[in-house]
Amino acid sequence: MTSEPRIVAENVSKWFGALVAVSDVSFDVGPGVTALLGPNGAGKSTMFRMLCGLARPSKGAVRVLGRDPRADASVARSIGLVPQQESVFEPLTAREFVTLSARLQGLDDPGAAAASALEKVHLDPSDTRRLPSYSKGMRQRVKVAQALVHDPSVLVLDEPLTGLDPRQRMDMVALFRRLGGEGRCVIVSSHVLDEVERLGSQVLVMSQGRLAAAGDFHELRALMDDRPMRIRVRTDRPRELAGALVEAGTAVGVRLDGDEVLELDTRDARALAHALAPVARERAARLYEVHPLDADLEGVFRYVVQR
Amino acid sequence: MSATEVVSARPSTLVSLVAFYKLLLRTQITIPRLLGIGGLGALAVLIGLFARFDENSAQAAADAVGGYGLGILVPFATLWLGTSAIGDLVEDKLLVYLSLKPVPRWQLPAAAVLATFTVVVPLTALPLTVAAIVAGAGDVAVAALLAASFAALAYSGLFVAAGIWFRRAVWWGLAFVLIWENVVAYSAHGAARFTVIGWASSLLGLAPDVDVQLEAGSAAAAFVVLPAIAIAGWLAATWRYRRADID
Repeated sequence: MTSEPRIVAENVSKWFGALVAVSDVSFDVGPGVTALLGPNGAGKSTMFRMLCGLARPSKGAVRVLGRDPRADASVARSIGLVPQQESVFEPLTAREFVTLSARLQGLDDPGAAAASALEKVHLDPSDTRRLPSYSKGMRQRVKVAQALVHDPSVLVLDEPLTGLDPRQRMDMVALFRRLGGEGRCVIVSSHVLDEVERLGSQVLVMSQGRLAAAGDFHELRALMDDRPMRIRVRTDRPRELAGALVEAGTAVGVRLDGDEVLELDTRDARALAHALAPVARERAARLYEVHPLDADLEGVFRYVVQR
Repeated sequence: MSATEVVSARPSTLVSLVAFYKLLLRTQITIPRLLGIGGLGALAVLIGLFARFDENSAQAAADAVGGYGLGILVPFATLWLGTSAIGDLVEDKLLVYLSLKPVPRWQLPAAAVLATFTVVVPLTALPLTVAAIVAGAGDVAVAALLAASFAALAYSGLFVAAGIWFRRAVWWGLAFVLIWENVVAYSAHGAARFTVIGWASSLLGLAPDVDVQLEAGSAAAAFVVLPAIAIAGWLAATWRYRRADID
């Protein structure tokens, strides 16, 4: 993907008994922000655990900064991880938690480093409340602070925007972009397409344990937007409506299901949405229900994988 | 710092070991645990009070320490704390925060054994010592302190290892304490040699003029065997931790 890969996965597979979580995945990631996109259960977290040396690949190899993170503990000094799980050390304050991380990374002044990391994520280092009293969004930011505290050159962020409000998301995305802009390798997982769009241009798509696509986000987005979509419409005049929409060119395929249900295939869902109400009005058809089928992320990924 | 550089610095052994130790102490010391184990310790003192009225109060105190103290109080308290030391981190998926660090893997299990031992000794060995003193058996008190402390050390190693090896470690440990330590140990001549309670009882036998029902060997050997069991447990925990996938 880039001329200077920091993370390299070569034919990596991971299985747990009969369950294949990751299957023959290869990619490399360089400086900047790269998004790992995929629906829940796609194998993103398992992939991240292997990138950080927390899990051993069943097959294949992972290299971070040229080293095997599983075999070489010193690589951990250069990796910051925000894990997906929400649990935190209950007896600790945010400052204590981040200081612990700094201390275990061997920093000279763990307290000062912790304060600085907490300020980067807009949290008050002098807050004496324990972590369980924090909101989900605040805990998420504490997790980001503990990943940043030792100034790592590789940041692995597993769904780091979960639980944040829109303002916090914006700040966090800006922080990740800034860190990527400084030459760090920032790899961020998400199952939300729009979230990924704001993160950066490089994207890896995982689906059902496999790497479905890799490359520039905008190309992928165009591919996704161009895919045929199916819309389900319930109306009292399905035949008239179908004929008119095909005639107008907004529907490329039609299927009637009973007396009221119509399934329309379109390549431009937005145009169809705009055309539907006027056409229905013209034909005196009542619209009871309009429902996009296969519009979830899972469907999008299926389409990309099939291509 | 260059963004491509692998930084090889890591914390000194003492710094990371103390950090793990302090964290585990804080996660282990909870009010329900303190009340539960403290209550069992208070019961030991009460038994000591009853022993005072026995004709041979020293023997009664030794019986109480051997039966209740080494058979129930010490193993159950250590089981509760030891299995949770790392076991809770695994269950709560918190181990990830301690594992992705440039720190050798042996340190966390070592800290867990030390933290468990640190909490268990004041909650078990001290009440047993007080129980012997209350019974008027000062000589038994010293032996009780030694026996309970060394037993706590051995159990700490075993139960910390169990916490990382088994998902329902408390139940496995419970079966071990009830069946192996409290039935098998007494079942046949020589069986005590393969139990913690047998070797701990050997230390209790250091008290003069008391008969200890269960002795695995000499007190000198017990001073070696019980720490060796703790070390074996720590090595088993480290071995497992090194190979485990961390959630």
